[in-house]
Amino acid sequence: MEKSSQVTLQPSPVLPRNPQELADALAAAATRNRTIALAGASSKHLMAGPVEPADVSLSTAAMTRVLQYEPRDLTISVEAGMRYADLDRLVAQNRQMIPLDPPFSETATVGGILASNTSGPRRRLYGTARDLVIGMKFATLEGKLVQSGGTVVKNVAGLDMGKIMIGSFGTLAAIAVVNFKLIPRPAAEASFLLPFDGLDQAIAARNRILKGQTPPIAIDLLNPLSSAQLGYKGHLLALRLAGNTVAIERCRRELAARDALVLEGKEEARFWKQVQEYTPHFLEKFSQGAVVRASCTLAQLKEVMSSFETAAIARAGSGICYAYFTRADAAVRWLTSATGRDWKAIIEFAPDDQRDRLDLWPAPGAELEMMKKIKQMFDPNGLLNRGRLFRHI
Amino acid sequence: MLPAKAKEKLAQLLGPRGYLDRPEDLILYEYDGSVDKARPDIVVFPRTTEDVVAIVRIAREFGVPIVGRGAGTGLSGGSIARAGGITVAFSRMNRILEIDLENERAVVQPGVVNLDVTLAVDGSGYFYAPDPSSQRACTIGGNVSENAGGPHTLAYGVTTNHVLGLEVVLPDGTVYTTGGKELDLPGYDLTGLLTGSEGTMVLVTKVTVRLMRKPELVKTILAIYDSDDDAGRTVAEITARAITPVAVEMLDGVMLKMVEQATHAGYPLDAAAVLLIELEGIREVVEEQVEQIREAAQSCGAREVRLAKSAEERELLWKGRKNAFGAIGRVSPTYYVQDGVVPRTKIVPTLRFIGEVSKKYGLIISNIFHAGDGNMHPIILFDTRKAGDLEKTIAAGEEILQYCIDAGGSITGEHGVGMEKNEMMGHLFSAETLDMMRRFKELFDPDNRMNPGKVLPTGKGCLEIRQPALGPGAATY
Repeated sequence: MEKSSQVTLQPSPVLPRNPQELADALAAAATRNRTIALAGASSKHLMAGPVEPADVSLSTAAMTRVLQYEPRDLTISVEAGMRYADLDRLVAQNRQMIPLDPPFSETATVGGILASNTSGPRRRLYGTARDLVIGMKFATLEGKLVQSGGTVVKNVAGLDMGKIMIGSFGTLAAIAVVNFKLIPRPAAEASFLLPFDGLDQAIAARNRILKGQTPPIAIDLLNPLSSAQLGYKGHLLALRLAGNTVAIERCRRELAARDALVLEGKEEARFWKQVQEYTPHFLEKFSQGAVVRASCTLAQLKEVMSSFETAAIARAGSGICYAYFTRADAAVRWLTSATGRDWKAIIEFAPDDQRDRLDLWPAPGAELEMMKKIKQMFDPNGLLNRGRLFRHI
Repeated sequence: MLPAKAKEKLAQLLGPRGYLDRPEDLILYEYDGSVDKARPDIVVFPRTTEDVVAIVRIAREFGVPIVGRGAGTGLSGGSIARAGGITVAFSRMNRILEIDLENERAVVQPGVVNLDVTLAVDGSGYFYAPDPSSQRACTIGGNVSENAGGPHTLAYGVTTNHVLGLEVVLPDGTVYTTGGKELDLPGYDLTGLLTGSEGTMVLVTKVTVRLMRKPELVKTILAIYDSDDDAGRTVAEITARAITPVAVEMLDGVMLKMVEQATHAGYPLDAAAVLLIELEGIREVVEEQVEQIREAAQSCGAREVRLAKSAEERELLWKGRKNAFGAIGRVSPTYYVQDGVVPRTKIVPTLRFIGEVSKKYGLIISNIFHAGDGNMHPIILFDTRKAGDLEKTIAAGEEILQYCIDAGGSITGEHGVGMEKNEMMGHLFSAETLDMMRRFKELFDPDNRMNPGKVLPTGKGCLEIRQPALGPGAATY
């Protein structure tokens, strides 16, 4: 993977070996008023805002221990630097899963996935980190380790501070330990790819399926340009179903029309991996490319998808659209018109040499004021990951 | 005491029917579903967000505490005006503002009753998932404040997993909208932070919730046991076999008798325990899982495994479960419900420990709980008229919660901390953690006027606080 100039601008990272060392390192920098660039594996260094050149660089990449894992409790506690891929393989041994499906899944750390709130196709059924994380420890600039939640699946003791860390891009504190609930892997799975000539038909099919009796765990919609990238034609509605073999057989009868492609086993896994990793592949191929993410309602999805003249993939059952612009200025133009239509969109990834002057998040809304107060509380001197939250914080 | 000028301003704002301040009226607002009580100085009934803002500004002007209140069904004292002041009762902000089936959303005012959301979409194939046992009475606003759960949260998650946006009023009168109908909005997740903040930071005036598709098939199973160990082992076995029920409820023998006498739901009177298990989803999967549950239960020594044959039979079983707390009132004048959580594999030893505590203190402790997620509800029966019963009850409850903490669990799974367990927070969390929570509260509520004396320890001993509140006649059920 291409290294960005921004990353190399930062000093070589300090690698704490455990949560306490992480807290100490933060405190050591903060007491001397040093700015800090915080990251996990830096797999998503092109995402959101660039961190302004910092005095100190910190990475959780050496914090990779499993702290607690009792498969029969369906919970696990790991250090934030553990790679998601390693975690996924570990729990898979007990036929369990944390179905976040994040991009950059081979290199990304658990902490980085939470900090960026990245997710993937199966969020339709299983949700995001917001739903799968049951506890967290984070290290503050004061060198304190703060606990939120715990290691049981149901817990309302105290303020749910972990929520505020998810999607915070390391601008408040450093996620040190993450506790997940685990989900048993379904006995059988299959996926159906339904090609359509027009977007209207694809959306109509999605609407039928969403109201149907066999709810898919993932419903993605690829426009012709993105489906062509994966070797398919037209608007492609990709459904992933889970259950037992009898149920899957019925889903095949009910959901997979004659021209549908049925994917199982390795072929199925490969397809979803391609969808999950579409963003990293795109960024590798187009160094001047930008990725836009639009959050919309299910009803708006058609209009949003039809506004893209570029490759685009939608989580069609959740209202999240990703559009792939080969040039960042085209992404900016799209975003300007989208903001005018009151769509909620951001530039999620942009070229490193342009990010520091792009308006990545044009319409943050009034609650940004409250967010800034929270930032002020954690980091009054603005030391931590300055600019990382889409250059607003 | 509420300054006369403040009362005058509130009366002017809301009109003569918009508030209550006579002692005989205030008495009705001094308690909730828990054991503590304290009387507010005035109860106000806003109809709009603008009313709430105006009330909050008056409270600010006179430095008066504010406590939000839904239906008062809470089980941790969350809506009790511990320091007096203004209770903001949301019963007149009870409109469903929007049902948006196309987008799987509803927008409601905080005073809307939980079950009314599901009833409003009845026949459409959608429902609102969080189902606290009090769902016929409790409100969405209260659910958001406490991050309420329920039997089916095993599969669907608790309130926070279904709340996507809020309109909130800060104690300085500013109004913010957080989140919305759309998912994954960039920035800090204020909706997630404020859900479950127990009214200590903001008042919620509007809630956007997720609606879900109803499953194709629902099957309800009653597994009957001669030993509660066997019932507990079945829960672990269900997990080990990767069966995924949407609810696994356990009722012990004492509870079965109380529930059956009150509801006549068909629960066995001679069993040591039952599991009430519900399966939902695609027909073929549910049918297979019914058999898997049967095998798991029998392998753990179930005496009998019954499948509810009709929707009526199923509803009756659930009616018995959800009305259980009411049923206890027929047997014991007062009771104390705990809400501790343990890892699923610790259910059997926890039940044994609760049995030991029961013997040690000579108190009947009955268990009815969400076994599937380890959320224990030991119910301590006591009689305030008997000298020493109260002290023993409190001590027994704390021993059980301490056991849950030591087992790697929590002191509350769904009822909230409130003024009931705030002194125990120091056993569960470090000083650093509690301090961070305190700073979040201060950020939103610098004058500590939002639901003061809740969630965080006050520094006083438990008994000092609880004893007077638990005096004779205090709890009436």
